[in-house]
Amino acid sequence: MTKKEKKSFNQSLAEWKLFIYNPTTGEFLGRTAKSWGLILLFYLVFYGFLAALFSFTMWAMLQTLNDEVPKYRDQIPSPGLMVFPKPLTALDYSFTVSDPESYQGYIEDLRKFLKPYDLEEQKNLTACPDRALFEQKGPVYSACQFPLALLQACSGVDDPEFGYSRGNPCVLVKMNRIIGLKPQGEPRIECISKSENTAALSTYPPNGVIDLKYFPYYGKKLHVSYLQPLVAVQVSFNATSSTVNEVTVECKIDGSPNLKNQDDRDKFLGRVVFKVTARA
Amino acid sequence: KLSIKELEKKYGTNIITGLSSTQAAELLAHNGPNALTPPKETPEIIKFLKQMVGGFSLLLWIGAVLCCIAYGIQYSMNTSASLDNVYLGCVLALVVILTGIFAYYQEAKSTNIMATFNKMIPQQALVIRDSEKKKIPAEQLVVGDIVEIRGGDRIPADVRLLSVQGCKVDNSSLTGESEPQPRSSEFTHDSPLETKNIGFYSTTCLEGTATGMVINTGDRTIIGQIASLASGVGNEKTPIAIEIQHFVHIVAGVAVSIGILFFIIAVSLKYEVLDSIIFLIGIIVANVPEGLLATVTVTLSLTAKRMAKKNCLVKNLEAVETLGSTSIICSDKTGTLTQNRMTVAHLWFDNQIFIADTSEDHSIFDQSSGTWASLSKIITLCNRAEFRPGQESVPIMKRVVVGDASETALLKFSEVILGDVMEIRKRNHKVAEIPFNSTNKFQLSIHKTDDPNDKRFLMVMKGAPERILEKCSTIMVNGQEQPLDKNTAEAFHTAYMELGGLGERVLGFCHLYLPADKFPETYTFDVDTMNFPTSNLCFVGLLSMIDPPRSTVPDAVTKCRSAGIKVIMVTGDHPITAKAIAKSVGIISANSETVEDIAKRLHIAVEQVNKDAKAAVVTGMELKDMSPEQLDELLTNYSEIVFARTSPQQKLIIVEGCQRQNAVVAVTGDGVNDSPALKKADIGIAMGIAGSDAAKNAADMILLDDNFASIVTGVEEGRLIFDNLKKTIAYTLTKNIAELCPFLIYIIAGLPLPIGTITILFIDLGTDIVPSIALAYEKAESDIMNRKPRHKKKDRLVNHQLAIYSYLHIGLMQAVGAFVVYFTVYAQEGFKPSFLINIRVEWENSNVNDLEDSYGQQWTEYQRKYLEWTGYTAFFVGIMVQQIADLIIRKTRRNSIFQQGLFRSPLPIGRDLALSLDAFRLIVLPSASRPQYWFVAVPFAILIWVYDEVRKLFIRLYPGSWWDKNMYY
Repeated sequence: MTKKEKKSFNQSLAEWKLFIYNPTTGEFLGRTAKSWGLILLFYLVFYGFLAALFSFTMWAMLQTLNDEVPKYRDQIPSPGLMVFPKPLTALDYSFTVSDPESYQGYIEDLRKFLKPYDLEEQKNLTACPDRALFEQKGPVYSACQFPLALLQACSGVDDPEFGYSRGNPCVLVKMNRIIGLKPQGEPRIECISKSENTAALSTYPPNGVIDLKYFPYYGKKLHVSYLQPLVAVQVSFNATSSTVNEVTVECKIDGSPNLKNQDDRDKFLGRVVFKVTARA
Repeated sequence: KLSIKELEKKYGTNIITGLSSTQAAELLAHNGPNALTPPKETPEIIKFLKQMVGGFSLLLWIGAVLCCIAYGIQYSMNTSASLDNVYLGCVLALVVILTGIFAYYQEAKSTNIMATFNKMIPQQALVIRDSEKKKIPAEQLVVGDIVEIRGGDRIPADVRLLSVQGCKVDNSSLTGESEPQPRSSEFTHDSPLETKNIGFYSTTCLEGTATGMVINTGDRTIIGQIASLASGVGNEKTPIAIEIQHFVHIVAGVAVSIGILFFIIAVSLKYEVLDSIIFLIGIIVANVPEGLLATVTVTLSLTAKRMAKKNCLVKNLEAVETLGSTSIICSDKTGTLTQNRMTVAHLWFDNQIFIADTSEDHSIFDQSSGTWASLSKIITLCNRAEFRPGQESVPIMKRVVVGDASETALLKFSEVILGDVMEIRKRNHKVAEIPFNSTNKFQLSIHKTDDPNDKRFLMVMKGAPERILEKCSTIMVNGQEQPLDKNTAEAFHTAYMELGGLGERVLGFCHLYLPADKFPETYTFDVDTMNFPTSNLCFVGLLSMIDPPRSTVPDAVTKCRSAGIKVIMVTGDHPITAKAIAKSVGIISANSETVEDIAKRLHIAVEQVNKDAKAAVVTGMELKDMSPEQLDELLTNYSEIVFARTSPQQKLIIVEGCQRQNAVVAVTGDGVNDSPALKKADIGIAMGIAGSDAAKNAADMILLDDNFASIVTGVEEGRLIFDNLKKTIAYTLTKNIAELCPFLIYIIAGLPLPIGTITILFIDLGTDIVPSIALAYEKAESDIMNRKPRHKKKDRLVNHQLAIYSYLHIGLMQAVGAFVVYFTVYAQEGFKPSFLINIRVEWENSNVNDLEDSYGQQWTEYQRKYLEWTGYTAFFVGIMVQQIADLIIRKTRRNSIFQQGLFRSPLPIGRDLALSLDAFRLIVLPSASRPQYWFVAVPFAILIWVYDEVRKLFIRLYPGSWWDKNMYY
C-alpha cells in the first residue's frame, strides 16, 4: 500500500515537472511559448481595450457633470452639526489644566482653523447686510465677513489659550456646508449641558445666532473664500475645586423650520453631543 | 437431502400437525420476522446535517463564525459596537440553513416517490399450526412451519418441499431464467439452487400445489443473502456529484486563496486585523455562488420531472445527469428489449414455412390446407391455458391468461385466428390428459370430436419436435397422411434448424384418431398406465414462438450507436436466441459477424479466424474461464457484444469490466439477482412493471414502461442537462468577479465600499435564481445525440475555459461596467472619482461628521452611509443590467443567439427582466431608483453581447483553432 502511494507521489511529481516544462513539446506550464505569447497578446489587447473603454465612459460621465454644483443634493437636505477641534477619540475633550501638553493640540487646531477668520484675511470680503440671505447671481461670488470678535472670549484674541488653561475650554460648533441651503427663520445654536449643576455654558455670538447672510453657499469653486459661520461654546465649571470636572453638552440648531435637529438614525443631523473632561 | 423424519427432528416440527402456536411465537421472537431487512437507511438527521455541511456550506459557516469573531473583537474594544457583523453572520447562517433545508426537502421529495413503490401488499401464507390450517401474514412464518402453496402464490419463505402435485415455479427473480421449473419432493442436486425439492422465497408458484416446510426465513433465505450482497456493494459517486464537487473545489479554492491573499495584503497595508477579517468575509461571500447548488438541485428535479413524464422515474436526482454521460448500456433482454410476451412467429406445415404475425393482418398464410385444419385443432385442444374470465372487452393480445408463456402464446394465437377457443374446447370434450413434464417432453390430451358422425377419439400431442417426430410414422401433407420417409424427415430437420436458428422456440404437433373399434365411446383412459398408443402418430406441423423485440428498440439502439453508446446485451437466455434478438434489434448490426459466423462462412476453424469480427456472443461458461484481462480485451476489441447464459454474479463481473474501461455504465435489470449489478453500475435502471422490489431498491432509476427506448430519451435529457448546467454555472460564476472586485478595489484603493455583503447575497439568492433556472429549459444547441458521451475525466462540467472566460472576460467587463455606475452615482452626488481614492478611513470614521466632498459640502457619517447604500444599489443595478446580457449570451455556447432564437426558452428574457425590476423595487433603498442609472451599464451589457457573439462566430468559423481551444467552454 505504502509502496503504491509512494509511486503515485513520484508519479505526480514527475507529472508536475512535465507540466512545468515539457521538453518534448516545449510546453511551459501546459502551453508552448507561442501559445503563451498569443494568450498574453490577447489579454494585453483585451484588457487594454477594456481599460480604454472604462476611461472613455468615465470621461464621458465626468463631462456631464457641472464643476460648480453637484448634479444632485437630495442626500443632504439638512446640514449636520459638528464641533471643532476634533478630539482624538470620540467627541470627548479631555485635558488636564495643569498640563499644557494635554491641550496643546486643541489650541493649535483652533488657531489654524481660525486663521482665515483673521481680520487681515477678511479684508477683501464683503460686509453683508445682517439678517438676510445673501443671494448672488454671479458670475463672481463674494463671501461675507465673519468678524472674529463675534466669538468674544473664544476668539483667541484675548485668550490665546481659548480658556483651556483656566479650565473653561472653548469648543467651536459649526453647521455643515451645503450648497444652496437657505435656512428659514432665525437659526441659532442652542447648547445645553446635560448636568446643569456642574457647568455653565456661554455661547458666542450671544444666543448662538447664525446670521442668514452666510447663506446660501455657492460651492468651493465659485464661493472661493467663503467663511463658515461659527458658534463658540465655552464651558465654565462651577466647582473648580474638584479634581475632575465632567460635562456632556448637547447643541442643536434651533429656530429654523427647515433645518432638522431630530433624526433617530443620524445623530449628527442638526445636533451634536460632546463631552468635556477637565482635570485639575 | 434429509428424509422427512430427519427434517422433523431437525426443526422440531411435525408434518401433520405443524408447529404449536407457542413454539412458533418463540421462534418468531428468536429469529425475527420473515421479511427482508430493508437496506440501512441513513437517519434523517444525518441526511439533514450532511446538507448543512456539504458544498459551500462549510465556507459560509466559516464566514458566519468570522462575523461573530469580528463582533467579539469590536465588542471588547467598544461595548457599543454596531451589530452589523452579527446580523451578517446570522444571515450567512440562515442562508446555509435555508439552502440546506431546501436541498433536503428536494431529496426527501424524490425519496417519497420511491416510498410509494415500496409499499407491498402484505403477503398471506397458508400454514399448518396446532393441526389447523391457518392463514397468517407471511411475515410471521418461522422455521419449521408447514406451509401449503398453490398455483399463483408467491412462495413465502425458503421451503423444503415435502409433497408436490405438478408444481412449477418461476425462479426468474432469483436466477433470471424465465422458464418455469418443475419441483418435486426428491433431492436431485447438491447445490440448493439446483435441487428440485426447495422452493425459494419470493419466487412464484405457477401451477400445481405443494406442501413444504420452512427451512429459512427473512434475511437467511437465498434471496435475502443476495439482497445483502447488493447492499454490500458500495454506492459509487455519481458523475455529476463528482463534477459538482470538482466545481466546489475550484470555487472554494479561488475564494480561500484570494481571501487569504488579500488578508495578507490588508494586514501589510496596515489595516487592522479586524477590518482584514471583515474583508475576508466579504471576499468569501462574493466568491461563493450561494444560490447555485439550490439552482442545480431545482434544475435536476425539473429534469427528473420531465423524465418521469417520459417514463423514466429518477430515484436519485443526480442520476439524471449520469444517464447522459453513459457510455455503455448493459441491457437485459427479456422485457426490456423484447415485449416479454411469447408470440407465435412461424408455422411449418406442408413443407413450407409460414409467417404468423398475430399483431397485424393474420390471414397472410394459406389457411385452406387440410393440414392447417388439423394443426389448428391440435393447437387449440392440446393446451391447458385459459383466459381469466370477465375479459371479453379486452383485446385478445392483452388479456390475462392462466398458464405458462408458450401455452399463452398458443392460446392467444388460436383465439385470434380461430375465434372462441373455449367454445371449440367445449365441443371437443377432453377425456384424458398428460400435462407437459421434462421427462416426457410432450403434452397429450384425448378428446371426443365435435363431429357427431365420428365416434373416434382424437389424441393430440405437442412437444419438443424431435421427440414428437420419434413417435410419428406418418406425416400430413396437404391434409393427406403420407408415410414419413427420409425426404420428409430431412425437410423437417431443415425447417427445425432454420426456425431454431432464428432464436425461436419450436414445438412439434401430431395427432392420432384412435380407432373406434379398439376405443369405444365408453373406453376409460388411464394416464398412469397409458392404456392407449403413443407411437405411430401422424406428424402435422411445427410452430415456433419468440418473444418479439419491442418495435421502438431498433431505433433506440441506432440512436445509442450514433450517440457513441455501446449497447451490450446480457441475458440468461440461450446464445442462439440472444443472438437472434440482438440481430433483430441491431445490437449486432446487420453487416457485422461474430468469429463463429466468419468461421462458418469461410469454412475454417474458429481459431483460425483473424480478429476482425466486430461482434461477439459470449456465454456464461466462456466468461467463467476468462481472466479480468481477457474480459477487458473482449470489451475493448468488440463493439457489439452479447452475453448469454450468464448468472447474476457474472453480470456484476461484466459491469466491473466495463467500469475498468473508464466507462459510465448503465445496467438494466428486474430480478433480485440483478440488484448487485444495479448497485455497482454507475446508474442502475430497474424495470417498473417486471422489476422486483429489491431491484427497484438497488436502482437509481426506474423505467415505468420497461422500454429500452425510454433509456435513450433519458440519455438525451441527461446530456441536455449537462450542457445546461454548464450554462447555468457559467452564468452564475460571471457575476462573482463583479462582486469580488469591489472588495479588492476597496482594500487597495480605499474607495467607499461599492457593494455590501447583504446586497451580494441578494443577487445570489434573489435576482439570479430564476434566470439560472431558466437556463435549464434551454433547448439543445445541436443534435446532442450525435456526439460521443463525455469522457468522465476530460470533459469536466467546469473546465478552465469556462472558469477563465467567466471570470476574466465577461466577469471583468461586468465589474468595469458596474464600477462606472458606482462612480456615476458618487460623482453626481458630489464625490468625484479622484476624490474617492483613499477616502476610506475618514469615510468610515463615525466621528467625522463634516467630511467634505469635491464641491465643499460637508457630510455627516449617516449621510455618507446612506450614499454608500445608494452606491450598493447602483452597483447592484450595474450587475443586474449586465447579467441580463450575460443571460442572453449564456443561452448558447456555440451557436449565435440569433440561430437559437432569443425567446425560444419557456422563460423568456422579458419575464426575467420584469422579475429583476420587481426584485429591484423591493430592495431597501428606493431612493436610488433613478431610472438613468439603469442605462449607465447598458453600453457594457451590449459590449458583452457583441463580444460573445464574436467569440461564437470565431469558434464556428475556425473549429479546432487556438481560439476554439481557449474560448469554447
